[in-house]
Amino acid sequence: MNILEVRNLHVSVMNKPILRGLELHLKPGEVHAIMGPNGSGKSTLANVLAGRGDYQVTAGEILYQGQELLSMAPEDRARAGLFLAFQNPVEIPGVSNVRLLKEAFNAHQRYRRLPEMDAMAFRAYLNERTKSLELSEDWLLRPVNAGFSGGEKKRNELLQMMVLEPHLAILDEIDSGLDIDALAKVAAGINALRDTKRSMLLITHYPRLLEQVPPDKVHVLIGGQIVLCGGLDLAGQLEERGYGWLF
Amino acid sequence: MNTAMNAYQDHFVEHAMQLPGFDSVSVRVSRQEAMQRFMQSGFPTQRLENWKHTSVTALWKRAYKPSEPGCMGLDPDDITPYLADRRGVYRLVFVNGLFSRPLSDLHDLPVGVRVASMAQLVNDSPCEVEPYLGNHTPGNDQGFSDLNHALWGDGAFVHLPSGTRLEKPLHLLYLSTISREPMVAMPRNVVVAGTDAHAQIVESYASLGQARHFTNAHTTLVLGEKARVRHLLLLQESLVAHHVGTMRATQMGDSCLDSQLFSMGGELTRQELHVTLAGERAECSLDGLFIAGGGQHMDFHTSMHHTSPDTWSRQLYKGVLDGNARGVFNGVVRVPPGIHHTRSNQTSANLLLSDTAEIDTKPQLEINTDAVQCSHGATVGSLDPEALFYLQSRGLNVTSARLLLIKGFAEEVLQRVKPTLLQAWVGQSLNLGVKQS
Ligand SMILES: Nc1ncnc2c1ncn2[C@@H]1O[C@H](COP(=O)(O)OP(=O)(O)O)[C@@H](O)[C@H]1O
Ligand SMILES: [Mg+2]
Repeated sequence: MNILEVRNLHVSVMNKPILRGLELHLKPGEVHAIMGPNGSGKSTLANVLAGRGDYQVTAGEILYQGQELLSMAPEDRARAGLFLAFQNPVEIPGVSNVRLLKEAFNAHQRYRRLPEMDAMAFRAYLNERTKSLELSEDWLLRPVNAGFSGGEKKRNELLQMMVLEPHLAILDEIDSGLDIDALAKVAAGINALRDTKRSMLLITHYPRLLEQVPPDKVHVLIGGQIVLCGGLDLAGQLEERGYGWLF
Repeated sequence: MNTAMNAYQDHFVEHAMQLPGFDSVSVRVSRQEAMQRFMQSGFPTQRLENWKHTSVTALWKRAYKPSEPGCMGLDPDDITPYLADRRGVYRLVFVNGLFSRPLSDLHDLPVGVRVASMAQLVNDSPCEVEPYLGNHTPGNDQGFSDLNHALWGDGAFVHLPSGTRLEKPLHLLYLSTISREPMVAMPRNVVVAGTDAHAQIVESYASLGQARHFTNAHTTLVLGEKARVRHLLLLQESLVAHHVGTMRATQMGDSCLDSQLFSMGGELTRQELHVTLAGERAECSLDGLFIAGGGQHMDFHTSMHHTSPDTWSRQLYKGVLDGNARGVFNGVVRVPPGIHHTRSNQTSANLLLSDTAEIDTKPQLEINTDAVQCSHGATVGSLDPEALFYLQSRGLNVTSARLLLIKGFAEEVLQRVKPTLLQAWVGQSLNLGVKQS
């Protein structure tokens, strides 16, 4: 069974059609990349998958693990293992990273009918992950994304993903704003989570990330439709030639 | 309104001899003058600028009776939920406005520091307190202060001689119990910190159960030169209680006052804080957080008088309003002509959680000189939908997500409470407040 089936998806924002008949099929353990010019609808797809309001799905359906996704509340999608790393993560002053991670993690545990982790064990669980991402000591006590640089925000998204261990991760431009070193760390983090069951959708502009996290397939999204599918070599071609030849 | 005023006057006449300090001429005269002023000005009405958003009609219509001794059958376990800590804190407990010795704990007070019941002290040793029991700047909007000065029944007297330090916080707890007839308590508190004295004072007001009662409190703080006082004011009375409180602080040179107010309780709550920076380089920091839901009405008025040069003040007041709650914040910063090099900042930030909650916020500057640095601002907003979605996308349901964002909004004020023992304690009472609203 596919983990994600997007069939003939049409989505409008404020009555303006953005996605127009999008098809996407993802198997467990597969990593797919979606590339496309600005404004082609990549983030729209990511947001619709995560359940954000203010998008009208005018046609089509989405199945996640065989279940009708569009009728699920955003928090139920998350607890069922769907994770979106946002292109522009929001800042939440006054709420520390550790507080958010703890509440989110425990919400997942309850959904899976597992006991909440005790404070000490959870601390250790977090420390393992902040270390592997080489995050500073005070990271967990800082308010969520508040005053973070673009790159820090991306790494924070990745930390949340490593803590929640989703079945399907959608990473919306996780590589933007990262320098070469930071990108290598983020790529290593993503690769560490790659296994035969976990699927990922990498939304990106650049082949740099894809060279370090080689995808099984590359899709090109233009004008709200997938216009081309290929392998990693397609990403390289797009970097050389741009998107113009595809219109 | 006259009936209610007359009832207080009748009580004043009938019980004059039982009121603390009857044997002291100055106290007696001061009570009489205050009563006269109250009878002239009456309860404040909405025609007064400082009361235009708050009606106290419901308050005087509920015929409150001044509390009398003999209604305290509490044991230490009953008050545990209201205490920050059993050991790490000194405490003075008042039940229905009257001092309770068995519930209080003043073990190991530093030598020279005086902490006592005002009623006992004014009877036993009036000259110690008389200097502080004069009447404060009268105003036609100060009816409640006048009433308090006429009828106060007890309160805390705290005196720290020069150079003394209270290492542990001193908790003044005012508890009201359920009574057959609704009762009013009028505590009058005086805290005097001498030169270079340090203290942390916690003043908290609470009810046992859903007591219908009225508290009309007045607290005077005097900070001598270089004195440092932390003041934490917690208003968490029942949702059917009425509360009017006035705090007046006077600060001498190089003194420092750091005060946080948390308000969660009461059907009608009005708190005034007036600070005069009377000595050079005096510093004052005032923070407040109020959480109102249901039909609660909360009104906060602050005034900061920079009457000496080189003084500094900052204020941050935050409001969280849900249901049909109504909030008022009015803060005035005054710098008279000829007072130079003052700095002040005042911010009011408010979070409306429902379409029917309302806030009136008005930070004001009355500056009559150029050599100042003053800034002020007010914001009113609702929960950020982007942040809510972000939290939902991490698995939190809407209720938990909202709660987390509200706590996040409150956190800035909570962080200002020191030490951590008190911060954790206030944090716990806040959680309850948030759930309740
Ligand atoms: N919340 C929104 N409100 C208004 N317009 C939006 C919103 N989200 C997306 N759009 C519009 O939809 C189009 C696609 O945007 P987006 O999905 O963000 O593209 P991409 O991520 O591929 O750059 C753009 O024209 C954008 O302006
Ligand atoms: Mg985008």
